[in-house]
Amino acid sequence: MNWHMIRTLMLKDIKLYFSNRFFALITVLGLLAYIGIYFLMPLTVDETIEMGLYIPEIPTALTELLADEGVVFLRAESEEALKVAVLADDISAGYAFPNDLAQRVAAGEKIPVNVYFASNIPQEFKEIYIVVLDEFVYAITGQTLDIDVTEEVLGPDMSGEQIPPRKRMVPLLTVVVLMMETMGLANLISTEIETGTLQALMITPLSVEGLFVSKGLFGTIFAFLQAALLIAVTGGLGRHPLLILLALLFGAAMVTGVGFLMASVGKDMLSVLAWGVLAILVLVIPSMVLMFPGGTTGWIKAIPSYYLVNTINQVVNFGASWADVGINLIALLAFAIGFMALGVVVLRRKLR
Amino acid sequence: MSKDAIIAKNLAYSYGHLLAVDHIDFRVGEGEILGFLGPNGAGKSTTVKMLTGQLQPKSGQATVLGVDVAKSPKKVQAQIGICFENTNLYEQISGVANLQLFAQLFGVREFDAEALLKRVGLDGRGNDNVQSYSKGMKQRLMVARALVNRPAILFLDEPTEGLDPTSAQAIRNIIFEERQRGATVFLTTHDMLEADKLSDRVAFIDEGKIVALDTPHALKQQYGKRMLKAEVTTPEGGLEAREIVLDRSETAQEVETLFKQERVVTIHSEEATLEDIFIRITGRGLV
Repeated sequence: MNWHMIRTLMLKDIKLYFSNRFFALITVLGLLAYIGIYFLMPLTVDETIEMGLYIPEIPTALTELLADEGVVFLRAESEEALKVAVLADDISAGYAFPNDLAQRVAAGEKIPVNVYFASNIPQEFKEIYIVVLDEFVYAITGQTLDIDVTEEVLGPDMSGEQIPPRKRMVPLLTVVVLMMETMGLANLISTEIETGTLQALMITPLSVEGLFVSKGLFGTIFAFLQAALLIAVTGGLGRHPLLILLALLFGAAMVTGVGFLMASVGKDMLSVLAWGVLAILVLVIPSMVLMFPGGTTGWIKAIPSYYLVNTINQVVNFGASWADVGINLIALLAFAIGFMALGVVVLRRKLR
Repeated sequence: MSKDAIIAKNLAYSYGHLLAVDHIDFRVGEGEILGFLGPNGAGKSTTVKMLTGQLQPKSGQATVLGVDVAKSPKKVQAQIGICFENTNLYEQISGVANLQLFAQLFGVREFDAEALLKRVGLDGRGNDNVQSYSKGMKQRLMVARALVNRPAILFLDEPTEGLDPTSAQAIRNIIFEERQRGATVFLTTHDMLEADKLSDRVAFIDEGKIVALDTPHALKQQYGKRMLKAEVTTPEGGLEAREIVLDRSETAQEVETLFKQERVVTIHSEEATLEDIFIRITGRGLV
């Protein structure tokens, strides 16, 4: 075996690999993106319970002690502020103690505690939070007290229903279906660019605007129809079908914009696939969190697909209404417009 | 000559600092076949792109069928047909489907794809996917696609390059038929023999400039050297070549002397080729 020749060949391959700008870029960017995604994911999801707390007085040392035991309390300025944080899904649950807590403890009176839950919290998690409340009260008073717990779910109460795993999967499957369709569209466009067929189309009376409208409509409608079919077959159109269909339409438009972006950076099927996997990896995170509850944190709302996933989950699995998820639709529409506009601008530059 | 179908005035385009087309002027009449000749990188394709509205000129003006191309490219594109150098067909669909797609984009009513395919010698293969076609068949389909809208101007980029003689002749026939129909043909090529056969006039472009523009005959008259070439037997029984330059006052005398003093085996006249003329003008070949 001639190691010199092998080394020479290997060096040649490295040179060729990195002379292809796409592979060089995807290698570096892809690696950075995957590492970035890893570090963005919660580190202590299985060990720590994060909850809100409104309590007039509590020693700082005690909260630190509780944190060591796997419970992190986020102090709220008022009971109202606590409710807002729970409603916004910043935290899954929060305890609100009365302002005269110290006097009641001293007098040995019953202590009323309001426990607020986010709408999507599973029943088993609620029970955990109540147990934690007992422990918490024992820790701050040093004795078992008679507490009067009032539970309140903020937003639509989704905990009454047990959601089977396959129902939890519906949002994930929807995002994957939309993205697969988008990758198909991106591949179609990038192939047309590379083979020159798009150039031939553009030297006809067809305008650039006409081209983008046709591609946008094709991508959106095709992705929408497949996602709608999936939701229909899995029984998701039983409650508020118009609401679900509208969310899917906005979601389909959004991923079509993503498809335009992929088409503008991809050169062939392989490169589109590579970019598509990267996009899917990011866009499925909200639906993965849904599959494995407890990992939800505020940053997840920065991922555009969150608003689609959340809407589908709330409506399909918990019967949420227009009022409950209206804000999601607005966010989704904004993302759809944003991605579509960005995709058109970037792809148009490539066509020039 | 009739009205001008194409007018290029002071047309220029640069890619960054590289001046690809250097302020060129020319006109092409209606029904004329203009051979646009030059080596690779001379500026042929860039010129065609400006004439067909694919590129905006950096300066100057291109007028096609009386329309300023930069201002109304779609108006121009609706009336022209383009056959690209590289095959850019939808290969996963049939030849008929390819033609019908473009006929619909051009708004052609009652389009007869089969008749057009027959014209380019592809009858019977129209329903096959294009990926099963040979190179020559694909090229003929490209020409057919350029004809779907009965264009007033046909831009052909190396239409016969690398084709078998049958396919090449089929395309040449179509070019002449189109000219007879009244279409103008803008033929871009670096094949001088092809241009000589097909063109009414030829333009030589080199380093972005038009260095000559005239009929092939006139160019040969101006720059070429017509000759008589003869083979004569030597006393030893071998063959030797003799050359007599034509169009000189002493030519007749030299011909008479040749036949009187030597035993002529073969004799024929020879003209300078366009390639010879191009080399003479630019000092370099076409490749």
